[in-house]
Amino acid sequence: MRVTVDKLAKAFGFLWALRDLNLDLAAGECVALLGPNGAGKTTLLKLLGGLITPTTGAIRFDNATFSRGVPELRARIGLLAPADHLYENLTAKENLHFFTQLYNRNSVAPTLDAALEQVGLLQRGGDYVANLSSGMKCRLSIAKWLLLQPELLLVDEPYGVLDGSGVDLLESFLKQQCARGGIIIMASHHVSRVLSLCNRAVILSHGRLTFDEAKQRPWPSFDKAFSEFLPHGGS
Amino acid sequence: MTEQLQPIHKRKGILGGLALAAVLFSLCWSLAVAPPDAYQGEVQRIMYLHLPSILIAYLSYFLVFVGSGLYLWKREKRDDILAHAAAELGVLFTALTIIEGSIWGRPTWGVWWTWDARLTLTAILLLIYVGYLMLRSLIEDENRAAVAAAVLGIIGFLDIPLIHMSVYWWRTLHQPPSILRPDKLPWENVHPSMLTALTISFVSFLLLYFYLLSLRYRMGEMRQEIIARRLERGA
Amino acid sequence: MTLLTQAFLLLWKDTLLELRRRDSLLTMFFFGILLLFVFNFAFDLAPDRIAEMAPGLLWLAFLFTGTLGLAQLFQAERENHNLDALLLSPLDGGALFLAKATFNLMLMVLVEIVVIPLFWILFNLRLWNLLPQVFLVTLLGTIGFCVLGTLMSALTLRARARELLLPLVLFPLMIPVILATIRCMEEVLRTGQFGDQIGWLRLLLGFDVIFLTAGVLIFDWVIES
Repeated sequence: MRVTVDKLAKAFGFLWALRDLNLDLAAGECVALLGPNGAGKTTLLKLLGGLITPTTGAIRFDNATFSRGVPELRARIGLLAPADHLYENLTAKENLHFFTQLYNRNSVAPTLDAALEQVGLLQRGGDYVANLSSGMKCRLSIAKWLLLQPELLLVDEPYGVLDGSGVDLLESFLKQQCARGGIIIMASHHVSRVLSLCNRAVILSHGRLTFDEAKQRPWPSFDKAFSEFLPHGGS
Repeated sequence: MTEQLQPIHKRKGILGGLALAAVLFSLCWSLAVAPPDAYQGEVQRIMYLHLPSILIAYLSYFLVFVGSGLYLWKREKRDDILAHAAAELGVLFTALTIIEGSIWGRPTWGVWWTWDARLTLTAILLLIYVGYLMLRSLIEDENRAAVAAAVLGIIGFLDIPLIHMSVYWWRTLHQPPSILRPDKLPWENVHPSMLTALTISFVSFLLLYFYLLSLRYRMGEMRQEIIARRLERGA
Repeated sequence: MTLLTQAFLLLWKDTLLELRRRDSLLTMFFFGILLLFVFNFAFDLAPDRIAEMAPGLLWLAFLFTGTLGLAQLFQAERENHNLDALLLSPLDGGALFLAKATFNLMLMVLVEIVVIPLFWILFNLRLWNLLPQVFLVTLLGTIGFCVLGTLMSALTLRARARELLLPLVLFPLMIPVILATIRCMEEVLRTGQFGDQIGWLRLLLGFDVIFLTAGVLIFDWVIES
């Protein structure tokens, strides 16, 4: 899959959240989306996920313009929101069953169990989501996307709720997705972790793209661009 | 300081002038030239306001429907402005119709209000489109409000024939139900000179309506321009 | 996955959630019964007049009870940003509409199945043989209510003063249904059959079909951001 973002802009009322955004993504890229609060990271992710519509500009997947009228495209995109997008009063397994059915994927019990086991939640499969901690909810979301296998996976600030093993789980999942030819875009404030995982970095500042490069070692241009908006120079 | 009127302002000015002249002419005709009604006397003259008012209101609601449909299809802001403007004017003319009907009712029937088919229908119309305006004002996000209002504009208009049918059947309980037949079509059994007065009145109202609509539409356009300029400045 | 299979999946999910929490059903249920009691104090329900007043009172009760259900209808989607999850997915808006409308219909029918006979008992109506016709009319009217109500519930989802706005936009549009069901029921309770009021049933059916179709076609636009 190729993702092309063409002069994308989004305004909310009198303010531009994103302006003049151009981006080109190819299969296997794992992109770190960085920037201070309010830079437009979440807005960009929501636009790519089709949750909001652009004010101007277009998003293209494999040269097909993305709009809500094309459900087939939506099936190939995922958004990993750490503790969200789960029904509190359904069990973990029922949630997985629901979403796999919705996306027309394999939803038989053994498949769901296998996914639960991979994220370490097999024992909690019959528990209501309301009774799971946020770390476990995040693992459940990972299980969900494991089953749904999106070609483009958007990730919004996952590190806040995960413990050590959860972080390892997430990162191995994301690496796996990239290796399979998927595209990952991850917004996060945990710069060092994200950079170790990703092979490309994009910085947004005040709604504009100020930096876009593939990872290098060493990376002086990144250090310079990044230090410009973070007073302490990253975590 | 002399201002150069642009062509469109000039046209609007002409329309406004025409409207004013037509309304004055129509008033003279309705009050002086047209004969008094054989049964109702002078009170009947309010029909020259009442009937055109409600017809204009229906025209307005049709424009809401058209604007709403176009907006949902093409998402051009101007269709939304048209729908909003037409809804406001529709409410105005509906309210006028009710007041005029009430003024006519008092000397004729002895009461300010009665639940006859026409008045009830008019009241329901008023409620529907007041609801439309409230919906618009209670949704924060402009674009969402526009879409929601457009859907309501279409649904409301689709409901109008059904409301007509049900209210007329309700008021003519033991007659076989028939489609859209009020007790009499407005222009049957009307004396020709009254018909002339009615036509003159209707034309004057039409001119007045389009003048007001153009003004209100321009207001909407200007508002959009302000938003666009503020966005430009914020870029 | 077809529209109907998607709708069924969503309906399964909502039914499961309702079975677990029983938020909506119990509240609607007791509210409906409570209204009957209030009517008893508010109106002079003398035995000779009760048959004429029954349709109106019942429908008032169902309207308010149904509105409660509509207000709760998208609750599961409002927590955890679940509506976003649905928007993200390849779900057809029409399927969501069908599922939610059917769900509210199920709740209302369950309430009606209890409240109508209860009304008969509480107010000593002896017309038990007319219950089938009464249920038929109620069903057609309830379908209309649920169909239009689901649309309005979704439209007002992100508005301020939502609980007030929903009845404000819904009730005027419901007038054909209100008139049709009440007139029909009156005739049935008076004469035992529909007679020349059968036209009302056709109106109801027309209403249901028109807005069901409109809802399925238009719902994608209703839920978008």
